[in-house]
Amino acid sequence: MKSLKNFWISKKISKFLNYTFLIFLIFNVNISKSFSDNVEMGEATIQQMIKEAQAHAINTIKLAPIERSLKIELLIKKYINLDFMSKATTGTFWKKASKKQKEMYKAALLKQIVLTTEEHLNTLATLSYKPSKSERRGKKLVYVRGLIQDPNKKKPDVNLLWKLAANKNGSFLILDLEIEGISLISSQKDEAVSILRKNRGSFDILLQKMNKNKSP
Amino acid sequence: MTKKNKFIFVKFITALFILNGCSNSTKFASENKDPFEKINRNVFQFNKYVDQEIISPISKTYVKKVPAKIRSGVSNHLEWIDTPNTIINSALQTDMENTILASAKFLLNGLTLGFYDLDKGETVIKKRDFGSTLARLNVSEGPFLMVPLIGPKTTRDLTGTILDRQNMATLSSNSLDDLSLAEIPINIIDKRSNMSKTLDNIYLSADPYIKIRSFYLQNRRNEIYSKKYIENKNNNLDEEFEKLLD
Repeated sequence: MKSLKNFWISKKISKFLNYTFLIFLIFNVNISKSFSDNVEMGEATIQQMIKEAQAHAINTIKLAPIERSLKIELLIKKYINLDFMSKATTGTFWKKASKKQKEMYKAALLKQIVLTTEEHLNTLATLSYKPSKSERRGKKLVYVRGLIQDPNKKKPDVNLLWKLAANKNGSFLILDLEIEGISLISSQKDEAVSILRKNRGSFDILLQKMNKNKSP
Repeated sequence: MTKKNKFIFVKFITALFILNGCSNSTKFASENKDPFEKINRNVFQFNKYVDQEIISPISKTYVKKVPAKIRSGVSNHLEWIDTPNTIINSALQTDMENTILASAKFLLNGLTLGFYDLDKGETVIKKRDFGSTLARLNVSEGPFLMVPLIGPKTTRDLTGTILDRQNMATLSSNSLDDLSLAEIPINIIDKRSNMSKTLDNIYLSADPYIKIRSFYLQNRRNEIYSKKYIENKNNNLDEEFEKLLD
């Protein structure tokens, strides 16, 4: 009777262990799959964006500057996480800003990104993009690296690093771009925080300075 | 160099080292130390004025009037003339691969006095200067400085630049000294023409001084420090980003 009981317990234990192993296996396979899926999705997002930007540069060349800017703005909006960028570039001061100031800052930041992109868009059309190493970082981030190359080899290669994360809908959006190691978020943060610190956290002064030279 | 000039030179370098010593001696700088911000801002205004009134118009004319092939030749020559510094400093940093590659490229392009890149950009050489050698020797970055007519530097890099120039003067003969004096303005115009869009864009930003400081320090640290520094910087940024995404 006792041996029968032992047999039953040992069978139960082995069943339990089998299930645990199976769950562990499924969980692990899913995690590593989702890890590689995320990296692939991040890479695909950047490839798609570069393709669209290059096509955009060619297709919009004859448009009026305002119309061209509007089109570029739409393209950029599709690929960047503007909420995150605004928070990241203003640090602790973000919480102190009013709703209106937050919206105005976002608009000013977007305008700045559009202007910078516009300047380099024509050059981008003549250069080629070559993806390099991508990796998953931490729980949420994906690093996508690439090279901008001149097919005629007249200009040196430019190293790019995009930092992306998935939003609530699951699509990947850009959080930061590093060009030759220079992070755009870090430099914008240095600038914005320095102005905010000097002016007791006044977003109005920051906005005034940001828009000062950018009015058409 | 006369005895008196040598004495002044040694005094200046010592002063820069003392200035460097005043700052924290951390190997990997993460903050932008700027105790002389007020003076730096004034110097920046002066530099900006000189740039916008003199250098920028000349460089625009240079781009307009001089054919691209000649401009590229001038850029190549200026890069070639600076290669001995890379060779010496790569050797000092025990980067033998870079020393050998830079030496080979210097000798090869020497056939055209550096005006034409016979290697056609195939060999990638990491530019090394005495500032980066000092960083390798764990000399701290020191405070940020805006140097009249030169631009952004840290005290360590300014010391390095002066020592590099001194090096070049020792290496070249007297007749070449005059040539190198003529090369300084050409170098400034050449560099300005290569980065005209970037600089003009910086001037339009909310605080151009901070933007230049940020760009310079990030770029310089990336050039100088090892992969460990970059990894460390990325880890810190990742943590910050993940918190913001929560």
